[in-house]
Amino acid sequence: MKTLLKSATIIDSSGTYNNQTKDILIVDGIITKIEDTITEEGATVVELPNLHVSNGWFDSSVSFGEPGYEECETLENGTYTAAKSGFTSILLNPKTKPVTDNKSAISYVISKTQDTGVNVHPIGALTMKSESVDLAELYDMASGGAVAFGDFKTPLENPNLLKIALLYAQNFDALIMSFPNEKLIAGKGVMNEHIASTRLGLKGIPALAESLHVARDLYILEYTGGKLHIPTISTTASVELIKAAKEKGLDVTCSVAIHNLFFTDDALEEFDTRFKVMPPLRTQSDVDTLKAAVAEGIIDYVTTDHTPIDIENKKLEFDLAEYGTIGLESAFGALNKLFGAQKAVELLTKGKDRFNVDNSHIKVSEKAQLTLFNPIKEYTFSKEHILSSSKNSAFLNSKLLGEVYGIYNNSKLIIE
Amino acid sequence: MSELSVPHLLGIKYINEADIQLIFETADHFKEVINRPIKKVPSLRDITIANLFFENSTRTRLSFELAEKRLSADVVNFSAAQSSVKKGETLIDTVNNILSMKVDMVVMRHPNPGAGVFLSKNVKASIVNAGDGAHEHPTQALLDSYSIREKLGDVAGKNVVIVGDILHSRVALSNIYALQLQGANVKVCGPKTLIPKYITSLGVEVETNLQKAIEWCDVANMLRIQNERLDISYFPSTREYVQQYGLTKAMLDRLDKKIVVMHPGPINRGVEITSDVADSEQAIILDQVENGVAIRMAVIYLLASKIK
Repeated sequence: MKTLLKSATIIDSSGTYNNQTKDILIVDGIITKIEDTITEEGATVVELPNLHVSNGWFDSSVSFGEPGYEECETLENGTYTAAKSGFTSILLNPKTKPVTDNKSAISYVISKTQDTGVNVHPIGALTMKSESVDLAELYDMASGGAVAFGDFKTPLENPNLLKIALLYAQNFDALIMSFPNEKLIAGKGVMNEHIASTRLGLKGIPALAESLHVARDLYILEYTGGKLHIPTISTTASVELIKAAKEKGLDVTCSVAIHNLFFTDDALEEFDTRFKVMPPLRTQSDVDTLKAAVAEGIIDYVTTDHTPIDIENKKLEFDLAEYGTIGLESAFGALNKLFGAQKAVELLTKGKDRFNVDNSHIKVSEKAQLTLFNPIKEYTFSKEHILSSSKNSAFLNSKLLGEVYGIYNNSKLIIE
Repeated sequence: MSELSVPHLLGIKYINEADIQLIFETADHFKEVINRPIKKVPSLRDITIANLFFENSTRTRLSFELAEKRLSADVVNFSAAQSSVKKGETLIDTVNNILSMKVDMVVMRHPNPGAGVFLSKNVKASIVNAGDGAHEHPTQALLDSYSIREKLGDVAGKNVVIVGDILHSRVALSNIYALQLQGANVKVCGPKTLIPKYITSLGVEVETNLQKAIEWCDVANMLRIQNERLDISYFPSTREYVQQYGLTKAMLDRLDKKIVVMHPGPINRGVEITSDVADSEQAIILDQVENGVAIRMAVIYLLASKIK
């Protein structure tokens, strides 16, 4: 099978073709030619307005729901959404019922998604049922294809359990994830504790709840060694703690959710539950720090933290609504607007090595793992742009920049 | 201006000073009405109002119901304990079911902050917020200001301290907004554990010493401890709270002025306020209750005239 991408501007700051416009011929999933002009008989020709291509994008925190929460999202439609949003590889959170805490559950996810064109890498639950009591069978899950271990948004309350996990995971070089939220400090909070929460009478979650947990985890990591990933930080204090830990030489990475870079807690003024996310939207000062930390590389990765929630659990009184926003569809439009195309692509292609995810480059003889997009189209993100089964997007009505055509991956062209 | 700037009363935050003055002028008229032998006017004979109380309330519900009846509105009452909410029905469905029975206005008390705002965006009726979690209780703040105006002539320039559990209080938040709109100076007073960390961003000062607070103020609005909302212990004991934040006659007598003492009720005698203070001539607690009916009549009348 042959596919010919015509007049594609290549965005690949680490490669030889960066910012050059070329024709790219792919035969049976392998890039065979990159030239100014290619004509190839029998090839499917892809000609799209202002076509840009980059290495396939990667997201380290995506949730769908299947099995258990199919009403939120299925694996089939979720992976299609990811593909159409430009993602060739995603890490899938164990936000399932039952929790993905054993090898057969890992195998289920992998086998159910292997023909989708998107490389879906499950994150195994760190503890049984994500209950923070007993470690799950990490080695068994790793041998079944789990690429990291964490309990999604359930914080590890017991510090000794993290200590044991970090030590144990070193036997097979596994990556541990610990979501930072000190539950007793967060209390019954539902949004960031600051001016907006005071105005709205909503219980606040102090930034302290996050940074205290980050500090604790970093102390434990210093003691144990091992590899720790802290997903979705949101505060200035967390950035400072992680920066200091990296300077000490600890093997720690972290991420930030795109919506935590794009919105502040002022968005909650109308009690709109689309903005109820975990970690909560913080202040402008936090957002400025987070953006600078992304630019400087202190924050390693950005993620959509894509969390589909059905309308029954989202269109409710604020206290009762679930946390989370979808983000795959709006990811590039938001990042491109914040950082420009070159940086956005760099951020969206980072992290594959950390999570042992298949990577390739735009050059002849390499596997074609490509994202196809147009970075200059400006538009207002609306319901028609949402492919997810659940429509809980914080980005609705936001002005975004850049549309995504889709991907070429695993010998599949997904642009329709 | 003869009509409100808003179709709902969701909070003081959403109205302006002119709205407040209009409500007060209208309330002046209704206060005269409720002191007549026949305490009733036929203004709202064509209006049906549902009082939806998803949280326990006695005085606010009675006050609203009396206000509605004295305007000749048809009234239906509903409380969560008897409703299908317990059977899993959503708030929007519950309210839409009631509205299908041709109800024009909804007065709602709800435990979740923003429930009124949420409802106003999702159902077709005029909404009056009768208290939503720790967010707002606008009619309480209006009647409090109205009572200050009645007692002291004006609200502008007055020093008002709100004492007690500010953290869990919708009365405090609505009062802060209302008093500031009218040009009063506001302090909050209570143990630091019960004062929101960022309260000064609203333009109020924090005073943790009650004696100093009452020396500063013209009006002290004493709030009760919202025991039902305390998920953890914010102070060691009621006894110790009373030692620091209970208002006593001796404290009032030490002042070289007569401050006005208010309380939104229900009073916990011997806790935030002693009996001799509650029953003293400086306390206007029962005036507040009477004014509550007039204020609620004004609010309902003005919102109903927008529906018409």
